[in-house]
Amino acid sequence: MHTCFRAVLFLAAALAASARATEVEITGWSLRDGDRVVLLGDTFIEREGQRGFIEAALVAAHPEASLTFRNLGWSGDTVWAESRGVFDPPAKGYARMLAVLKEQTPTVVVIAYGRNEAEKGEVGLDAFRQQLAKLCADVRTAAAGSAGPAGVRLVLVTPHPFETADAESRNAWLARYAAAIRDVAAAEKAGLVDLFADFPPAANPSRRLTENGVHLSDAGYTAVAERFVAACGRPAVTAATSARLRPLVVAKNELFFHRWRPANETYIYLFRKHEQGNNAVEMPRFDPLVAAAEEKVRAAVGGSRPQ
Amino acid sequence: MIAMNRYVGRCVAVVVACCAAPALAQRGLTDIPLPDPAAELAAMQVADGYEVSLFAADPMISKPLQMNFDPQGRLWVSSSSIYPQIRPGEVADDTVTVLEDEDGDGRADTATTFARGLLMPTAVLPDDRGGAYVANSTELVHLADTDGDGKADARSAVLSGFGTEDTHHLIHTFRRGPDARLYFNQSIYIHSHVETPQGVKRLNGGGIWRFRPESVGLDVFARGWVNAWGHAFDRWGRSLVTDGAGGEGIYYGFPGAAYQAAVGVSRILHGLNPGSPKYCGLEILDGRHLPDDAQGVLVTNDFRANRVCRFRLTEAGSTFTSAKLPDLIHSKRVTFRPIDVKMGPDGAIYIADWYNPIIQHGEVDFRDERRDRTHGRIWRVVAKGRATLPRLDFTKLSPAELLAHLASPEGYARDMARRELAVRGRADVVSAVSAWRAGLTPETPDVERLKLEALWLVQGLDCGSAGDIDAALLREVLASSDPRARAAACRVVPDWADRLEAPVELLASGVDDAAPLVRLEAVRALARIGGERAAALALTAVDHPRDEPLDYAVWLAARELRNAWLPAVLTGRFADDEELGRVVYAVRAAQASEAVPMIVAALAAGRVAEADRVAALECIAELGTAADLRQVFDHVVAETTPAAESHLLLGRLIEAHQRRRLVPAGNLAAITAVVTAGDDARAIRGLEAAAAWRVAAAGDAIAVIARDAARSADVRRAAIGALGGLPGDEPRGVLVAFASSGGEPVVAAAAIAALVPQARDEAARQAASFLAAVTDQPLAEGVVRAFVSVKDGGTALAAALAGSRAAITPQAFAGGLAVISASGRPQPELTSAFEVARPRETVTTAGGPHAITPDQLDGFIELVKTKGDRTRGEAIYKREALKCASCHRIGDHGARVGPNLAAIGAASPLDYIIDSLLHPAKNVKEGYNTLVVQTADGLVVTGIPVSRTDEELVLRDATDRQITIRVADIDEESPGTSLMPAGLVDSLSREELADLVRFLSELGR
Repeated sequence: MHTCFRAVLFLAAALAASARATEVEITGWSLRDGDRVVLLGDTFIEREGQRGFIEAALVAAHPEASLTFRNLGWSGDTVWAESRGVFDPPAKGYARMLAVLKEQTPTVVVIAYGRNEAEKGEVGLDAFRQQLAKLCADVRTAAAGSAGPAGVRLVLVTPHPFETADAESRNAWLARYAAAIRDVAAAEKAGLVDLFADFPPAANPSRRLTENGVHLSDAGYTAVAERFVAACGRPAVTAATSARLRPLVVAKNELFFHRWRPANETYIYLFRKHEQGNNAVEMPRFDPLVAAAEEKVRAAVGGSRPQ
Repeated sequence: MIAMNRYVGRCVAVVVACCAAPALAQRGLTDIPLPDPAAELAAMQVADGYEVSLFAADPMISKPLQMNFDPQGRLWVSSSSIYPQIRPGEVADDTVTVLEDEDGDGRADTATTFARGLLMPTAVLPDDRGGAYVANSTELVHLADTDGDGKADARSAVLSGFGTEDTHHLIHTFRRGPDARLYFNQSIYIHSHVETPQGVKRLNGGGIWRFRPESVGLDVFARGWVNAWGHAFDRWGRSLVTDGAGGEGIYYGFPGAAYQAAVGVSRILHGLNPGSPKYCGLEILDGRHLPDDAQGVLVTNDFRANRVCRFRLTEAGSTFTSAKLPDLIHSKRVTFRPIDVKMGPDGAIYIADWYNPIIQHGEVDFRDERRDRTHGRIWRVVAKGRATLPRLDFTKLSPAELLAHLASPEGYARDMARRELAVRGRADVVSAVSAWRAGLTPETPDVERLKLEALWLVQGLDCGSAGDIDAALLREVLASSDPRARAAACRVVPDWADRLEAPVELLASGVDDAAPLVRLEAVRALARIGGERAAALALTAVDHPRDEPLDYAVWLAARELRNAWLPAVLTGRFADDEELGRVVYAVRAAQASEAVPMIVAALAAGRVAEADRVAALECIAELGTAADLRQVFDHVVAETTPAAESHLLLGRLIEAHQRRRLVPAGNLAAITAVVTAGDDARAIRGLEAAAAWRVAAAGDAIAVIARDAARSADVRRAAIGALGGLPGDEPRGVLVAFASSGGEPVVAAAAIAALVPQARDEAARQAASFLAAVTDQPLAEGVVRAFVSVKDGGTALAAALAGSRAAITPQAFAGGLAVISASGRPQPELTSAFEVARPRETVTTAGGPHAITPDQLDGFIELVKTKGDRTRGEAIYKREALKCASCHRIGDHGARVGPNLAAIGAASPLDYIIDSLLHPAKNVKEGYNTLVVQTADGLVVTGIPVSRTDEELVLRDATDRQITIRVADIDEESPGTSLMPAGLVDSLSREELADLVRFLSELGR
């Protein structure tokens, strides 16, 4: 049953791939002028939004292009959107995530999952692989309207290794999940940033990349951002450029965070909106502020205005 | 838009009035006193023997949300002007301020802004290294001061993924536990998903987290509560909790416990003071500055009613009893909002006053201009005529001096000494602890508690290495002569289980302890350790008496350890005769139906002890197959079975049908013997069972009972209800005869209601005639409710009303509309049918629908203030026709359908009270939102969710009944409107309405 399902997905992916532009390499990928990049993932992506290393590096690495980013990371999340259900089951959170993604009109979607799913070990591996493939398909459908005839370009990311005291056993599992991500990336003809391969687990883990064994330190984000830039075939960005851009990126992301994941959601959109739902009028007022903050990022990198 | 204009308009009016003359500012909704601290102080009524002074006020601080002292005696305060919601373009720039009373005169001399750039920092706790942990919306951040200038210069997210679905529910109430963990709470609407090095930790709904920063170890300590805004540890490490939206006063918390509103939990514990208002903050008074009668007293804040309250606890079994004492402070100023309380370094009591006329953002608009965003106070309460204590800088003390403070009568000193020792680290402290312990003798005062302090120190200094634990000390405290020390030591065992030899065996004596509180902690510790031996040991607690918290602990252990004991039961390793009582308990707790055949066999073989026999039968009824249920049925109908036992087991068999759709196998005609026998209670259950099982053979007997004037009214009503459940035309014919006989209305109403599920249209025809004659409103309501409780029932009744063309009685009209309104969903057809059939005259002609437009509101408020009479209002409140008390409680009198109104006057502005009376659906208190559930059987249930698990949903309906619905049976569910019918106050004149509002507005004042 599972194998059948996967085969159908592979077939669908292959057909879709043959219809897409041939310039997309299986592991390499590129960003173009006008791209709107949406980032999906867990704490790694959520904190990237607050710290801006990857986004600043990618913007700086493409000075000729106008790129915009929308960070939809959510702490503790999985390919089933387990963190996004709020008062509902995760399936509804998953649907909401795709709806928000669609509103962002992405041309590129970066998908960074696998760390939390790997807690389940062997029993969870097949289900993860299938759900990641389903997520890719659902993202393509959701983004069909914004990405033009060639379709949205996907970039899959493998998790960087653990640096916890018990890293050896956990990385053994993470390796299996990283391999599954590579499989899906190949089947989907998606780009890949292979952080698990880029930072081989050490025999005696020291905190090279992380603050607590799991979450990236500034040094970790810097190193990871370099891998993103390299993966899309660009020369490295200087530390000074990144440092100059990051506060602007972070300020923009903070505004966008309040826009798409506002506090008091219960009153603004959910079952108590009959009380304070009138305050929802404030949310679209963040849009021009996000645009203005984005303009500051572009001005700082010296890029052109968007089309 | 209209609402917004209304507020804007009013705010302009207020500004004008304030500028013109302060006295004019007292009108309408804006009875907001001027923010002069001296006037606020003068308005406080303070308990005899105490006096209050101002420690700090705006502009030094504003809008304090939490405060905590550090070992240098400085007070850290987190503040937010952004709450409740950041505005587009507003910079998140909330602050943490450090207050210092340099000259010790009881007034803060300096205020240092330690950090800014924060987003609604709902809690702050100094890290005792110059930095602090701060709750910052989605994250718990650590702020460090690396250059020692008193200002944060480094910020890192320690934990992230906390929900923000409601900003007065954000993580809050930071407290350092005696075990050196950081405890913090989240409230009911929050859903948190936190990645830690030990995996993802999730908590949906309210609860208390506990966190060890050194290892980033995070787990859930307890679940539930609406807003657990207070948490204090007593001298023995026991948790006491308050709820800022619960109504049960002080709660006793222990690992794994669950309380009101816990998500996915089928059983909850309750607070110690049911019928209380809601409380924020919690502190335990002690120390040499305060008089003897204050020692051990709990202080918390009824911020809605502007009161600082006191409680005294008494140990009782595994828990406490709690008695309320007279208030410490009571103010009539609506802006006095005490929200936190802490014992200070000088032995005085410190109270954080959020200072705000508006306390909510669910009911009151986010942008309501009456919200105060700039003021805030810290008050200091001292005992008159008693010297305050000299303040100490704990950071300057040696380990030996710090250890000496563990014997201090001041909780503040003990806490700071423990915290400071934890900061010094193992190298400096471990040998000092050993030396100090060596000096403790049996004659040392308080020696048993001091040994526990030593154990907590070792626990706090644990870095995870094998050598970090002290098994000998643990054993010594586990064997303490004081049960409170033994109980606390049990809690340490699971923390060290990976490094202890045979940790489970260390708990063997605890689970058999003479003191129930020790048994409780031992059972919880065993549940955390897990494994077959731990499970078997935990279940030996079943052999002892259990009060509610202890029984909860065992029940929870049985569920959590299901996979440890169940295989042992199924393979016969855990099934000796003397173990069967424990097995039955565990099987019922964990609903482990796999084990039922073994229990059936043991019962048949006579192996079950007499004391456990009924429980074993209950277990079989709850979890067995139809064939198993038959055995219970045979026992129920046997002449030799005592009536009470038969009654109990019948109840379980009915539940088996409700929950599992299971009916005892075979011919059930023998139920006739039960329904015709003498015992009323058992007969009523028998009638319910006969209907549920559709026992046609009992039909004749039941029809006889229904007609039998010698039987009680309750039995006859149950018989009529049962006829509705029986198959075939005969019972239906009997019901139609009852419905149309023109005899007793009470019989006719019951017969119509019973007909609805089986013969809706016939029932509707009978109902139309009934409603044209009925003069008893509750009977009319019962009939209408029967229709709106089934799918398309309202449509059928509407058609029949239209068909009959007869006017209904005023009582039927009023009752019908009330039922429709309380159904939580619009019934347009039925409503218009009632309007068409409307009687010429209504019940009373006094009021009619009260439309108070925004323009008229100020005038009406004036009427409330000048003419409204509290006593008359109370009499109106108590009128039966208004039904206030049939849904609401004031204190502990009345029903629980709607919110407790004990403090409504203090909590809510007049406009909110008026609005809620006229438009009940507009503002619904949290925890009172309704669900409308339609089941596969066509039933429609509207109610407030009481609990929900994967299997069952329990709703409380408008008649205060709890209704259990199988999740598998739910076809559709949707949010409903308020259970409070619109138009309830229509019968009142304008003056009477003003009296009622006046009465409500004074509740809690």
